[in-house]
Amino acid sequence: MDFKKLEKYSKKYKNYTELRMQENRSTSIAIRQGDIVTNNQNSESGLSARVYKDGAWGFAANPLINDEIMEHLVKKATDNAQFLSKKASLEKHNLPSRKGKIHKDFTTSKKRYSQKELIEYLKEVDSYIEKKCSDVSARNTRISNLDMEKKIITSDGSDSYIMRPRSLVIISLTTVKDNQPIQLYDVYGGFGNFEDNFEDPSKLYSKIDKLYDDLMKKANGVYAKPGTHDCIMDADLAGILAHEAIGHTTEADMVQNGSVAADYLNEKVASELVSLVDFANKYEDDLCPVPVFIDDEGVKAEDTVIIKDGILKGYMNNKESAALMNMKATGNARAYRFSDEPLIRMRNTAILPGKSKLEDMISSIDNGYYLVKPSNGQADSTSEFMFGIVKGYKIENGKITDAIKDTTISGVAFDVLQSISMVSSDMSWSAAGMCGKKQPIPVGMGGPAVKCKINIGGK
Amino acid sequence: MKDLAKYAVNKLLELGAEKGECWVQVENKDELNIHSAKIDLLRTNESYTLKLTGLKDNKKGSVTLNKINKKNIDKMAEKTLKIIESSREDKANDISEGPLKEKFESGPIAPEREKMYENLSNFLKNVKNDFPKIKLEQSILEHTKIENYYENSNDVSLYSKKGKYQFTSMFFSKDGKKTSSFNYTQLSTKNIEKPYYNSGTIKRLLKENQEQLETKSVPQNFKGDMIITSDCMGSFIGFITRYLKDHYIITGNSIFKDKLNKKIANENFSLYSKPLAEEIASNYFITSDGNLAENLEIIKDGNLKSFMLSLYGANKTGKKRANNSGGCYVIEPGKKSIDDIIKNTDKGIILSRFSGGNPSDNGDFSGVAKNSFYVENGEIKYPISETMITGNLAEILLNIRNISKERGNFGSSILPWIKTSGVMISGK
Repeated sequence: MDFKKLEKYSKKYKNYTELRMQENRSTSIAIRQGDIVTNNQNSESGLSARVYKDGAWGFAANPLINDEIMEHLVKKATDNAQFLSKKASLEKHNLPSRKGKIHKDFTTSKKRYSQKELIEYLKEVDSYIEKKCSDVSARNTRISNLDMEKKIITSDGSDSYIMRPRSLVIISLTTVKDNQPIQLYDVYGGFGNFEDNFEDPSKLYSKIDKLYDDLMKKANGVYAKPGTHDCIMDADLAGILAHEAIGHTTEADMVQNGSVAADYLNEKVASELVSLVDFANKYEDDLCPVPVFIDDEGVKAEDTVIIKDGILKGYMNNKESAALMNMKATGNARAYRFSDEPLIRMRNTAILPGKSKLEDMISSIDNGYYLVKPSNGQADSTSEFMFGIVKGYKIENGKITDAIKDTTISGVAFDVLQSISMVSSDMSWSAAGMCGKKQPIPVGMGGPAVKCKINIGGK
Repeated sequence: MKDLAKYAVNKLLELGAEKGECWVQVENKDELNIHSAKIDLLRTNESYTLKLTGLKDNKKGSVTLNKINKKNIDKMAEKTLKIIESSREDKANDISEGPLKEKFESGPIAPEREKMYENLSNFLKNVKNDFPKIKLEQSILEHTKIENYYENSNDVSLYSKKGKYQFTSMFFSKDGKKTSSFNYTQLSTKNIEKPYYNSGTIKRLLKENQEQLETKSVPQNFKGDMIITSDCMGSFIGFITRYLKDHYIITGNSIFKDKLNKKIANENFSLYSKPLAEEIASNYFITSDGNLAENLEIIKDGNLKSFMLSLYGANKTGKKRANNSGGCYVIEPGKKSIDDIIKNTDKGIILSRFSGGNPSDNGDFSGVAKNSFYVENGEIKYPISETMITGNLAEILLNIRNISKERGNFGSSILPWIKTSGVMISGK
């Protein structure tokens, strides 16, 4: 696609207008028990226009890319906004401007793999599992690559281009114990093209060995005891807690609707050991899993401090919510497909590391659980959350003992944050998250391990 | 579009593929969005998708794109062939058998935008008047027109044009600093005349959601009854049917793998997938493997009557292909009223929303009971929060005690309330 085509429209607006040209390219390959069950390439591209007029938004999108369509879309979006503003009196806000110009292309500099080479890679991984993991009854491996390429120009003068790649290998293993299938999976990779993340299949082998070992432990595992327990939530759990249970309640559109976080700005909502940030693009000096430099409203992105030392400090805003709440636009407006409007979305949400050592945290618990891997997460307007746990262990007398079978944890996030008594000094990111809120969107989640009290469902 | 789909299949054959199929989908969407209690976004989209799939030496590959013209199709066919050749031989790969030519049309093809606005603003006004503590989150009314063209090299040529309206609303309640759990509903309809405010189960959900501002945990952990409402039943049907589809049957990990024509549920439980049912607005005529859709009996009088295998899944396992692609689920009603079912419950919960992931491979599930109520001695006692439920899917199907005579028609499914037992219910 010729993304430069968009620039000639930069002076053609009568109202506040955003124009976006976007292409999402994805590759999906899946091997189940040695059979290739998915072998697909997908490309989806097009133009969109969003117009703000008299307090109403109009949006229009079309996959065709030419001068006529561009003009048609701006007119259509304007007509759409006008349709609404004529129906009811809507308050018009002065949308803030934090414009910027940026060009970021994260395409690999290495020679690109063909689909055939990607299949060969996955076949080797599958063969390794077949040979080495003798007690596996079902194996599924998958490559999922997504390149999102966007060009955005806005009537307030922003101009941005980004090519943001993500590549993942997902491995799921199942074994049978006492006639019951037991499954465990893991996801590898993240930000970057496949060529940058996966050089050689053999580099995954030690991770597969670990996954298999964990599966065997889980097969011999025990059911967790239901009730409230002292637990260590490892980094992946802390990240999903930050994202699902806290992050969503602090998205300004949720706050405007009256989410639980609306009532507690500048109040203590967590243990003073807890600080939580939605990072725009870098953590310390490293790129985050989903780096956002200018968002899809043309706002220069900055980190959003949500909780600092236990105090709720801020919300994630788009232009309209910032105007309405007299806050800063933070660069959190993002859209998934060319035909989607930007919504307030998280980017890279993380609890910041503390000072404790993980081994000290474990040894401080007489009877509890070390929870390592979530399967999914859901959270509520109340900040009550539920996460599936697919990997975890019992802690007895300060030591890790039996693995546990699949279970679920739940709690009220702000209560759990208040109960945090230790935070580990390390930090790790999960780079494979896909968040759902009308549209899907790739997100990063991160954190240290935290010690807290949490409710476990069990048998 | 039909000609382009045919052209794509022929091009692929010309290049050396032995079989080919092509889907083209053209979608037009008009969408009204509520934000902060105002209708403030109108979104109109036009989209095209062309998916070309081919087979050679039993190898399969496909390419999807949304720029549909002959020049792009030529390039796409070349790319598809390369992808096919890079694949691995699998004798289960195939396309649907012809000759077959059919055309279908259903639902409202053009949106009535003024009426859509009127219906949605009526909903807003009524919620504000009748349920002042309700806060509307994502609430959308959309009209979609979808045209599907399917062409393959076995002389199959299918076309369908469908229109429908879909209303979705998410909401929660707020009173001072008290916040309730959110709930949601989705309704698909073929007409826009009837106010959504008076449709489906919306008013009951809004009323119950306001009651959720004051909740307690259950008094103690216990094994008891679970009355699943029609709004929540869709989640559990999704869990059951998951074990009947390709993945679980092919890998042999389904909890129902040896249960065909055997009892897997209480004898009063019958489940169908009815894509041709007139009363279901989200109906369909063509299956994802290029065949004509028919209604399917999945569970009849408690016995498993069919797996839900695609053409590939059927070829792979040697079992029978299901004659549709699932969805449009209908459960036969029972004989008791919802009130009677509650009156006959000693101790349990009414489950209105389940917050939890998919069950494990062995059917175990656990999650949080949302928008739910504690029931004791035949009475609804109070709304609950922080309550977990744990059970096994195969067990709760066999443990079904009652099915209500009332059913909710959501336009995508028609479902009753169902009471089952033996579920572990645990509080904080």
